[in-house]
Amino acid sequence: MAYLAPAEFVTKMVDAGESKLLMSTRDTLIRAYMAGAILALAAAFAVSVSVNTGNPLVGALLFPVGFCMLYLLGFDLLTGVFTLAPLAVMDKRPGATWNGVMRNWSLVFTGNFAGAMTVAVFMAIIFTNGFTEAPNAIGQKIGHIGEGRTVGYAAHGAAGMLTLFIRAVMCNWMVSTGVVAAMMSTSVSGKVIAMWMPILVFFYMGFEHSIVNMYLFPSGLMLGGNFTFMDYMIWNEIPTVLGNLVGGLTFVGATLYSTHYKTAPKRRAA
Amino acid sequence: MSTILRVTLGQASLAGDHDTNQDFHGALLPRGHQLASKGIALALADGISSSQVSQIASQTAVRSFLDDYYATSEAWSVRRAAERVLSATNAWLHSQTMGGDGRFEKDRGYVCTFSALILKGRDLHLVHVGDSRIYRVHTNALEQLTEDHRVRLSATESYLGRALGTGAHVEIDYRSWEAEPGETYLLATDGAYGHLQADDVHQALQQHPQDPDAAATHLVSLARSRGSDDDATLQLLRIDALPASTTLHPQLCREGLSLPPILAPRMEFEGFTILREIQVSARSHLHLAVDKASGRQYVIKTPSVDLCQDADYLDRFVLEEWIARRVDSPHVIKTWPGERPRSHLFVAMEFIDGQTLAQWMRDNPAPPLDSVRGVIEQLAHGLQALHRREMLHQDLRPENVMIDHQGTVKLIDLASAHVEGLAECHRDALVTPVPGTLQYIAPEYLLGQGGSQRSELFALAAITYQMLTGQLPYGLDLARVRSPQDLRSLRYVPVRHHRPELPTWVDAVLAKALQPDPARRQEVISEFIQDLKAPGAQFKNPRTPPLIERNPVLFWKSATALLSLTVIALIAWRILER
Repeated sequence: MAYLAPAEFVTKMVDAGESKLLMSTRDTLIRAYMAGAILALAAAFAVSVSVNTGNPLVGALLFPVGFCMLYLLGFDLLTGVFTLAPLAVMDKRPGATWNGVMRNWSLVFTGNFAGAMTVAVFMAIIFTNGFTEAPNAIGQKIGHIGEGRTVGYAAHGAAGMLTLFIRAVMCNWMVSTGVVAAMMSTSVSGKVIAMWMPILVFFYMGFEHSIVNMYLFPSGLMLGGNFTFMDYMIWNEIPTVLGNLVGGLTFVGATLYSTHYKTAPKRRAA
Repeated sequence: MSTILRVTLGQASLAGDHDTNQDFHGALLPRGHQLASKGIALALADGISSSQVSQIASQTAVRSFLDDYYATSEAWSVRRAAERVLSATNAWLHSQTMGGDGRFEKDRGYVCTFSALILKGRDLHLVHVGDSRIYRVHTNALEQLTEDHRVRLSATESYLGRALGTGAHVEIDYRSWEAEPGETYLLATDGAYGHLQADDVHQALQQHPQDPDAAATHLVSLARSRGSDDDATLQLLRIDALPASTTLHPQLCREGLSLPPILAPRMEFEGFTILREIQVSARSHLHLAVDKASGRQYVIKTPSVDLCQDADYLDRFVLEEWIARRVDSPHVIKTWPGERPRSHLFVAMEFIDGQTLAQWMRDNPAPPLDSVRGVIEQLAHGLQALHRREMLHQDLRPENVMIDHQGTVKLIDLASAHVEGLAECHRDALVTPVPGTLQYIAPEYLLGQGGSQRSELFALAAITYQMLTGQLPYGLDLARVRSPQDLRSLRYVPVRHHRPELPTWVDAVLAKALQPDPARRQEVISEFIQDLKAPGAQFKNPRTPPLIERNPVLFWKSATALLSLTVIALIAWRILER
């Protein structure tokens, strides 16, 4: 497992961020759609494992397969581009602007949401035998997961909102660490090991991940959760997206960039 | 057994019935470590007699082979180095053929045969194309080692099946075998071997045992006296002593060099003392170092950890030094001229004390047209120096341009360069990733159509635009191009939107150079430079562009104001009517 020097992988991070901005609309949407779908599937898988074994740790231990798959296939999650895309602007790469970053973020959000929704509908069909019977045990679990994490926060008012936000910050701190860690190694095994650890931490701790939630909550609504779509948006998705943004940008992108990558342009001769 | 390679060499050439000798031959016996790393080379070429210019072809082939072969990376095998050098020479000759009479009649072009023998370590290597021959001299016979690339139509008619300069690509024969001390080899053109027997060679060698030159002279005049009307050239190589064993493996390739350690200040590396880090990126590591032998500063470039497993990248890595050695221009970076044997893979380049163009642009946000022109013109000279050698830089961007304290502009980073003739045919052009940087790359690359000198012109014009305005001509839309339809939606934003004080012709010149369709750009870079300095009448259109082009915001503001006035007037009229 080759290990890259920090200065090397931080330049890779900036390069990766730049390439997100340069990506065509079509590619951005396709890659985001696939990432959202694969991550949603992994979430459904992890909940299934937890329900069947009765032990949430087993689900958390296995959840990172989805993340590894989508990363190795070169797909983009909103959490990842929150961290990477702004680096290109910070590094003043030619043509990189905040407008470009916003464009990328909104395209990736749309793609992720569409991908997660697709899997949500597909899984709902599976859990209810094509909407002909009541959801099975896993379906019921998914249906009620959303309640505590929407109306549950709402019950605490501002304190609930703060908790939700902090959980979202912590989430992308971990998830983006996974994205960055994957760049530290040049081998597939190395990348997988490096990604596995932080993703495992985030999932077991129940932090709020905007794309996982794009699957869990719409699924919950379809499978009989006692909350509304507006509850989901206001008391979960929107604060989660903002928290993810803050977590990825401040604790991962900006920190690594400022400590390992000298911002001053340097003399170079080859 | 001696540990030094020793050979005796004899050469002679006589012109045929016509005045000019279209044969050319040469040999190089280097000293020092080049003898070990590159060996001894003999080469001869025979220009086709139907062409008036083939003596230039044969001279170029031999001269550039002997020069360029020794300039190739030590990391390359003899086969690879020889074949690459010959492919490049062939591409040049072919382009000359296509530019002259030979365009329609190949037998009047820059066409010649080529045979060379390289003795490196204990191994002999043969490269051959055409109908010159290489023989091994046995005690009572001559063994022909090469195959004549001659196609016979009848007993009297035949033509050269393969030669340098006829096609864009040439297939080159290659053989290698272990040499024995005491062996003699003979290289000859058809004017010589066509009129000589094995006995003649043996007799000549017996008559002049210590003087192969005399033997060779004797043999060519013998061929002439037997009625050869063609140019006759003959080279003799006698191997007197071979080194005990080869320290350098004959098939030495890039893998023969080990990957360098991660460099750190004060470290000793290959005769250099590392001073400090210049830049460490995911592509390469750059360190400033002092050559202990000369005391001069150089930049040491080593592969990055990320890419050190990537064979393509490492091939390009050694190519960079080779390219820099072939190009001699004040506007292209030079390499370390040192000749020490190496054990690690690295590139040493001259240290340019100055700033990158990217930094210059930040320091000079709205420069006068004149200073932009000064930089761009020098940059163009650097590119032209590459183009003259049939090379494309392919990664022109402000980070790859250095401006030193005297204001000299130099192109750096030749690692993405494309060398015509070296382009590996076996590699699928479609899977090759787009070279260079997406913001400056010409759109034809993005559509998989490959680049040309006009692609370099596009990048140069994009940099000109960025120097003047700080923006990219098409923003990031260019980088997102995926299909010819996308090209049509590209909109050039005039320079005058950002800098209204600039003359209108600047926009016209830049817009032409930045056309998405390469055929609509200026033909060559020099034309673009000329247009920037003295724009032709077509750029100085006396017609003032309509307001909507010059200042669309003002146009719409006025239009809206007019409309609102009309509306107010109409309302007022309506009220007064009542």
